[in-house]
Amino acid sequence: MLVNYKPQRNLLETVFLVEILKGMALTLKRMFSRPITRQYPDEKQEPFPGFRGMHALARDPRTGGPRCVACMRCVTVCPSRCIRIRYREQEGGARLVENYEIEALRCIYCGYCEEVCPVGAVVLTELYEYCSYDRESVHFSREDLLGNWDRFMAEKKYDPATYINPFWRPRGLPEERIAAGNRRKVPREWTIAGQPVGRCHRRPGGQAESGDQGVEE
Amino acid sequence: MHLFWMILQIVILITIAMLHVAYATYFERKIIGHMQVRMGPMRVGPHGLLQPIADGIKSFFKEDIIPECADRPGFLAAPVICLSAMIASLAVLPFAAGWVLADLNIGLLFIFAMSSLASYGVILAGWASNSKYTFLGGMRSMAQVISYEISMGLSLVGVMMLAGSLNLSEIVAAQGDSFFGMYLFPQAIGFFVFVVAMLAETNRVPFDLPEAETELVSGYCTEYSGFRYALFFMAEYIGMMVMASIGVICFLGGWHGPFSIPFPPFFWFMIKLYAIMFFFMWIRSTLPRYRYDQLMELGWKVMIPLALFNILLTGLFKTVVG
Repeated sequence: MLVNYKPQRNLLETVFLVEILKGMALTLKRMFSRPITRQYPDEKQEPFPGFRGMHALARDPRTGGPRCVACMRCVTVCPSRCIRIRYREQEGGARLVENYEIEALRCIYCGYCEEVCPVGAVVLTELYEYCSYDRESVHFSREDLLGNWDRFMAEKKYDPATYINPFWRPRGLPEERIAAGNRRKVPREWTIAGQPVGRCHRRPGGQAESGDQGVEE
Repeated sequence: MHLFWMILQIVILITIAMLHVAYATYFERKIIGHMQVRMGPMRVGPHGLLQPIADGIKSFFKEDIIPECADRPGFLAAPVICLSAMIASLAVLPFAAGWVLADLNIGLLFIFAMSSLASYGVILAGWASNSKYTFLGGMRSMAQVISYEISMGLSLVGVMMLAGSLNLSEIVAAQGDSFFGMYLFPQAIGFFVFVVAMLAETNRVPFDLPEAETELVSGYCTEYSGFRYALFFMAEYIGMMVMASIGVICFLGGWHGPFSIPFPPFFWFMIKLYAIMFFFMWIRSTLPRYRYDQLMELGWKVMIPLALFNILLTGLFKTVVG
């Protein structure tokens, strides 16, 4: 394809700098338009659904501790290896989380940890204001993460007993391959049938292979 | 008593010029912000009105770093040369009838001399910092000033021929009986060349090669910090104002308006000065930077021949009509 990068100007347009004048007319017009920027600390943006912000450990309303069962899936899946868990095995095989560390500065906010979590314990909240002057205060310990959860619940006025975020569920997986604790109602584009690309779209008919019962209508 | 009066006038002039510099930076940021659909400074004071003062205080208390391998005397002298040359050229500008510190007969020549001297400061800063970026900035500034000084001088020759004087007050007085009280229309080509050369002389976009931020960090003042950097900054803005004043005096009729209104005598002068300052900022928010070879080509192959043609045309006009 022939691309004409330099449009032809006639002599008159060159002499009177018509292109520069056009550009200047545009900037002058823009000067009287409304600025599109947000005055941040005064007006804050409401995060979109599925926003991945500050890390937290969901608090189990029954025990008061974290829901985490120390299955180590998040540690395994984390691409930047920023999660570290220390646990103790009780009699009967149940694991007790002694410490759960997340280095927020290494985290890339991919959200894999919350997707693989079978009990919805490690989550990325909708909070985004947690900067600090030192690294230590964004190297979250178990207590910090539980505190983050409390702050999230308090600031967004959610009920900790019932709050559930559909975006903690992995995208485009059939229902039976999702851990029981994560089978939640999700928006349609989060299911196999709703995927703009992928398996169901390559097949004529476009039916999902199985179970999209979790679709929110 | 006469000396005291003189010093008082100088102090008043410099204070007003410095206030103008401070708020020129504010208006530049605001105007460019709004042209880019942003808001510009908003946090310090209502609509960021105290921003220039905060900036001044900040630059005053910042650490003054002198590079270890820098040429110390040159490094220290460069910003002072720049600023004092620019301030000195304020002395010959007539802001209204009789409102001039030094009514020199070679006022225009004096301004040329001072703006060339200021570019010595730039070159010296580039060389004395002993850094590649500043050195490149200084070299570019030298080449640019040499090329555009010529076309600027030549573009004003037409005005000198029409007015028959180099004294700035007399140039303004001579424009009184021309069309709209300004030389803009008989000297349209001269004004065009002057505007381009003015942008190049003050190192403004699109000719800001000496301090090209995207390629040379900050050009000749890369190694400067704190108040020395602020001196360069002030020199640049005073330079802009001096050049704008020259434009107003030589082409736009100085303190004469197209019609008379009962306002203070410098009213028209200020209006025209601010219009040209706005034009500087408008151009800055619109145009990208010229490449080095394009700059040279424009300077030598377009601007100088155009200015010479203007002189020829003015000469013919004077012989035939006058």
